[in-house]
Amino acid sequence: MIVCVAVVGHQNNPLYLQSFTGSDDALKLHHIVHCSLDVIDERVNNPKRSASTLNETFLGLLYPTENYKVYGYLTNTKVKLIMVTTDLDVKDADVRSFFRKFHAAYVDAVCNPFHVPGKKITSNSFSERVGTIVRSFGPSMTL
Amino acid sequence: MANYLAQFQSIKTSCDRGVVVSVEDVSDLWPSMKEGFEARVPLKEASLNNRTRNPVRVVNLAAQFILTTDARLRSRFPQDNQFQYLFWFREPYATVLLVSCDDLDDFKTILRPRLKLILQNDDDREWFIVFVSRADPANDPASKMAKKVYARLELDFNTKKRERCCKYDFHAPHPSFWDDFDSKLAECIRNTLDRRVQFYEDEIRKLTEQRFLPIWNFCNFFILKESLAFMFEMANLHEDSLREYDELELCYSETAGTPGKHRDFGGIDHGDDRAALLNPSFKQLTLIVQDDTFREFEFRQYIFACQAKLLFKLGRPLEVAARGHSFVISFSKVLAMHENALPFCFREVWVITACLALLKSTMSHYNGGVMPPDIEREFYRLQGDLYSLCRVKFMRLAYLIGYGHEIEKSPVNSAALSMLPWPKPAIWPALSPDSSAEVLAKEKMILQSKPREKHFNIQRKPLPLEPSLLLREANRRRAFLSVGNISELLESHANDGSGSDVNSRLASKNPSYMSRTFSGPTMSDTRDRPMTLSEVHVAAEYALKLTVSNPDILNSLSSLEEFEKKYMELTKGAADNYHKSWWKRHGVILDGEIAALHFKKGEIDQAAKSYEKVCALYSGEGWHELLADILPNLAECQKILNDEAGYLSSCIRLLSLDSGLFLTKERQLFQAELVRLAHGDMKHPVPLDVSSLITFYGTAGPALELCDGDPGVLQVTVWSGFPDEIVLENLNLTLSASFGADEGVKPIKSAEKHVLKPGKNVITLDLPPQKPGSYVLGALTGQIGHLQFRSHGFSKAGPADSDDFMSYEKPTRPVLKVLSPRPLVDITCAVSSALLMNELQWIGLIIKPLDYSLKGGILHIDAGPGLKIEESHLIEIEGYEPAEGFEKVPIEGGKVALPDWVSDVTTVLWFPVCAIDESMARGTSSALPQKPSIVDGMRMIALKLEFGTFRNQIFERTIAVTFTDPFHVTTRITDKSTDGTLLLQVMLQSQVKATLNIHDAWLDLQDGFEHMSKTDKRPTLSTFPLVISPSSKAGILFTVRLYSNGEEASQQDSILNLKYGITGNRTIGAHTPILAKVEGSGEIVFKITLALQRPVLDPCVAVGFLPFSSDCLRVGQLVNVKWRIERLKNPEADVSSSCRDEVLYEVDANPQNWMVAGRKKGHVSLSKEQGSRIEITVTCVPLVSGYVHPPQLGLPEVGEQNISCNPAGPHLVCVLPPTLSSSYCIPA
Repeated sequence: MIVCVAVVGHQNNPLYLQSFTGSDDALKLHHIVHCSLDVIDERVNNPKRSASTLNETFLGLLYPTENYKVYGYLTNTKVKLIMVTTDLDVKDADVRSFFRKFHAAYVDAVCNPFHVPGKKITSNSFSERVGTIVRSFGPSMTL
Repeated sequence: MANYLAQFQSIKTSCDRGVVVSVEDVSDLWPSMKEGFEARVPLKEASLNNRTRNPVRVVNLAAQFILTTDARLRSRFPQDNQFQYLFWFREPYATVLLVSCDDLDDFKTILRPRLKLILQNDDDREWFIVFVSRADPANDPASKMAKKVYARLELDFNTKKRERCCKYDFHAPHPSFWDDFDSKLAECIRNTLDRRVQFYEDEIRKLTEQRFLPIWNFCNFFILKESLAFMFEMANLHEDSLREYDELELCYSETAGTPGKHRDFGGIDHGDDRAALLNPSFKQLTLIVQDDTFREFEFRQYIFACQAKLLFKLGRPLEVAARGHSFVISFSKVLAMHENALPFCFREVWVITACLALLKSTMSHYNGGVMPPDIEREFYRLQGDLYSLCRVKFMRLAYLIGYGHEIEKSPVNSAALSMLPWPKPAIWPALSPDSSAEVLAKEKMILQSKPREKHFNIQRKPLPLEPSLLLREANRRRAFLSVGNISELLESHANDGSGSDVNSRLASKNPSYMSRTFSGPTMSDTRDRPMTLSEVHVAAEYALKLTVSNPDILNSLSSLEEFEKKYMELTKGAADNYHKSWWKRHGVILDGEIAALHFKKGEIDQAAKSYEKVCALYSGEGWHELLADILPNLAECQKILNDEAGYLSSCIRLLSLDSGLFLTKERQLFQAELVRLAHGDMKHPVPLDVSSLITFYGTAGPALELCDGDPGVLQVTVWSGFPDEIVLENLNLTLSASFGADEGVKPIKSAEKHVLKPGKNVITLDLPPQKPGSYVLGALTGQIGHLQFRSHGFSKAGPADSDDFMSYEKPTRPVLKVLSPRPLVDITCAVSSALLMNELQWIGLIIKPLDYSLKGGILHIDAGPGLKIEESHLIEIEGYEPAEGFEKVPIEGGKVALPDWVSDVTTVLWFPVCAIDESMARGTSSALPQKPSIVDGMRMIALKLEFGTFRNQIFERTIAVTFTDPFHVTTRITDKSTDGTLLLQVMLQSQVKATLNIHDAWLDLQDGFEHMSKTDKRPTLSTFPLVISPSSKAGILFTVRLYSNGEEASQQDSILNLKYGITGNRTIGAHTPILAKVEGSGEIVFKITLALQRPVLDPCVAVGFLPFSSDCLRVGQLVNVKWRIERLKNPEADVSSSCRDEVLYEVDANPQNWMVAGRKKGHVSLSKEQGSRIEITVTCVPLVSGYVHPPQLGLPEVGEQNISCNPAGPHLVCVLPPTLSSSYCIPA
């Protein structure tokens, strides 16, 4: 199951972070998302090593740990979409389609004329939409 | 075949000296050749073929020479020939036939048959012959014979395709022999290797085809594969060897995954918890055989160890680390699947040891390695990953045995631990029977440990370090206990996510429960009831001791100090390595963990440094939630260290975080701390940037516009992020010019105290005059106690968004525009023509404000010399448009205060002045008409208008007003009768633009004249009143005659008296004088002197100009100018000095045209006789060519009227240019 999705701005500042664990431990997810920026930085700044994926927005698996996986997606405005899942058996294609939907939701959210670019996304409809996307992702699993 | 495993292993271990080359010592030459042969190995260079049959250059190929008679070779032939190929790698790769023969016959009869015999046995063997010639080179026949024999040998054994012989001269070895030897040896090895590889591959293919048949046996496959791999390894073809192992691993994981058969996993032997992933000889393979395959636990490690060995040989520690990391993770998953069959926490212990082993070996192989920076960073990243993986598992173990409360509940630890499932043993370890003392000790330890309180009394639910409550998990896993038990029930409402806290909470809530827990004797019934937390810890510790065989790990877990030491080591290792990699964030965040440990140990200084780094990282990227977690720690360190500046800055940063991150109470506490410190006994003022906390912006709407030099009042909205009101002792605001270089704009100061409410405050600041330009808000500075704060934070509108401070956006909207200097008012004179001299006249000033209020303005009027302001009169102010108003105001000391109504309208201000001219007006003769100079009547008035809000604007102007007499009078004698009666015409020309009415006129004559009618001084014809229109003339005639009474002259000049009135408009010019108007008659008397001259006398002296001596004058040529002076008549006795016997003369010449060479001025004697004459000669030099006035002779003492010019001198004379002179020319 997806435990967290996040949008990180091009200056690596958090724009949106939603935890789906249900418990009050979002801080650790902040940490995970923040640390995963290291990997994104590394991939983006080392085009030599990731030449094949350079032109792709989907960054793939950032972080294979024993217990959770972090996937990343980089928009062309250098906004990072990050997803943390505890589901260790995820298909890349699923994640790709998830990010496509997530990206579309993000684009719609920032198209809102009342949204200040570079500021946190506070839109409720965006949260709801993200929630729907997350719930529809893959077979739902329990923790 | 599988039975050969043991043999295979032992052979493999014995084959550690490289490829075998057998030596067939035919002619007993080995003892003498051995040394030379062995000096050639390892072969420096050989070209071998790799698996894909591509040539590969191999260096330092190890090889050993063994005589065919040697027992090592003899004993090898296995009994069963069928499986000989299994050990082929150890068979000789080449055979060297060492022969010698001195005689051709011997060769034919003995050596050749023998060699044929040796070689006929096996065709597969690769061989070559070394012919040793023992002939002395001095012994010619012998060496010739040796050559013959060798030639024969070559003939017999060489083929067209291949030369198999080489010759070694014992006494004088040919230098190329050894190269030849090497290449032949390498060729043999290559051929053998190729053949064997081919063979092995064929076999492997055959076996692979049977893979899905029941007879498939992995061990056989393994032996074949490993033999091939080993052969490659012996031939230094490590790359190929590695590939074989990779394929083997793949094949194993494919076959191991086949369902159906239950196989032992392994890992239950003592010492298995120590990962052997880098030690291929950890266990005999024979011990791990199970049916037709190997036990997974050992075999996977074995394969990895073999791969790692080869990778190290290939010099790729990075790859070992990378493969190792993923191997550890994947193997950990495998271990998790078999966890219920493994000892308690076996998986964690294995991961720890595996990581440590990988770290140790990769680092030792890396040392001194030179890598490109990218690779290096990657390597360190992997090291960091290994360290942190190890660290996580280590923390998990520590938590299980009760050190959980010592682990910082930070996001990083929580992220690692709370998502990591608990170990899942089949049965949770139970308490050992005699552990009551340990349980008590543990109990005590837990009770004594206080959860670290956050500074500022911040109450937060600590982050979990466990996936679920340990107590519940442990009891649930004890199969014979039901889920619902007393502790669970209590937990359900004491569940705050922190396992270690549960017990203490229980203790406080339920004393009866506590007594039961702590009483020793009840320990006996632990098996029947749920365990308490300390029991869980003790049981886990006991079980762990059974699992762990590594003394280091045991030691690290034995006490809190040891745990902290190891924890520090691992954290530091991870952080240091991450710092060297791309993953800076990981490194910095782990620094935070190190800081927590330092803090606990009381090393506050180091802790503060590390915390600062972490805070900088989080705040730099705006991760406020994380910052809010760590910043209080930093503040606490700074407080302990007495770092006031740092502490204040931390308080400010805490306050500037999202207000939702802290409770209002906490934020109030931050502010209280700040205020306490700021007003406390700080020695030095502390400068602090509060840009994120206090922001400011100009008021909405257009910018304040000020005229140059005007002060103003600026309104600024200051947004305060403080939760309470805060008192600012003073407040300064700098404005910066939005264009051009900023030359130090002075801050606007406001010394008064300001109290900022939370949120929006409007502050008014007095603005001193600024230079012209447009200004934006610069910085806001001020003081709170000793705290000098400074804010650059601009917010566009409304409360600042909390992440504003990430990017300082300079606002572009100006708040103030100071206009360039422009005229704000214009004052001009309302009177266009001359006024009356010596009369009280109104002067009008048109005061025209130019879009600027003159409110409160004061006009200074300073009359210049010859002009007097009549202050006794009121000043009149009237609107330019008459409807706009009229007012009379007093003037005092030259100052007029302008009334309010004039501030915005154009007005005319009238004030009375009197121009004074002491001298009496003088008429002129028509013979010499002389216009009165305007300058004489010009008077200046200096005006200074002070206006503006603070009378800061000054307008200064000097205006000129002309005054004049009403008339200009000229006289003329129109007729002269013989009896001396003269008709004197007096012409009056009006000088003013007003109508003049002459009511009366009379002439007081000077001596020497008298009126015809002695009593009437009035004109001959009385036509009064005479009206003279502006600028027109009128004439009056007087009849006078010459008269001489011989008395002393009493009156030199005649005086004309005119009584007149004036009708004029003051807006145009001259008008009725004020006093005259007051008196009512409106008549003024104007007096003017007239100089009447007696009729002109005959001249007494004649001056004549004599012609020049030469025709033409030239520049630079001397010329004599001559005048003749002649006395025309005898001077009369009473005539003045003009007729003495000497005459004063003066030559007047333009010095630019003439140079006078003689005396310019002097006396010459002239006899008093009538007709006497003299000549005056003056030498002059003309200076310029052209027509010039000649010098003139004047006689200053003789009046001009007495001089007759006869003959008259020329007006102009022609002066020619100088003749050309060559004296200045320089010959070429």
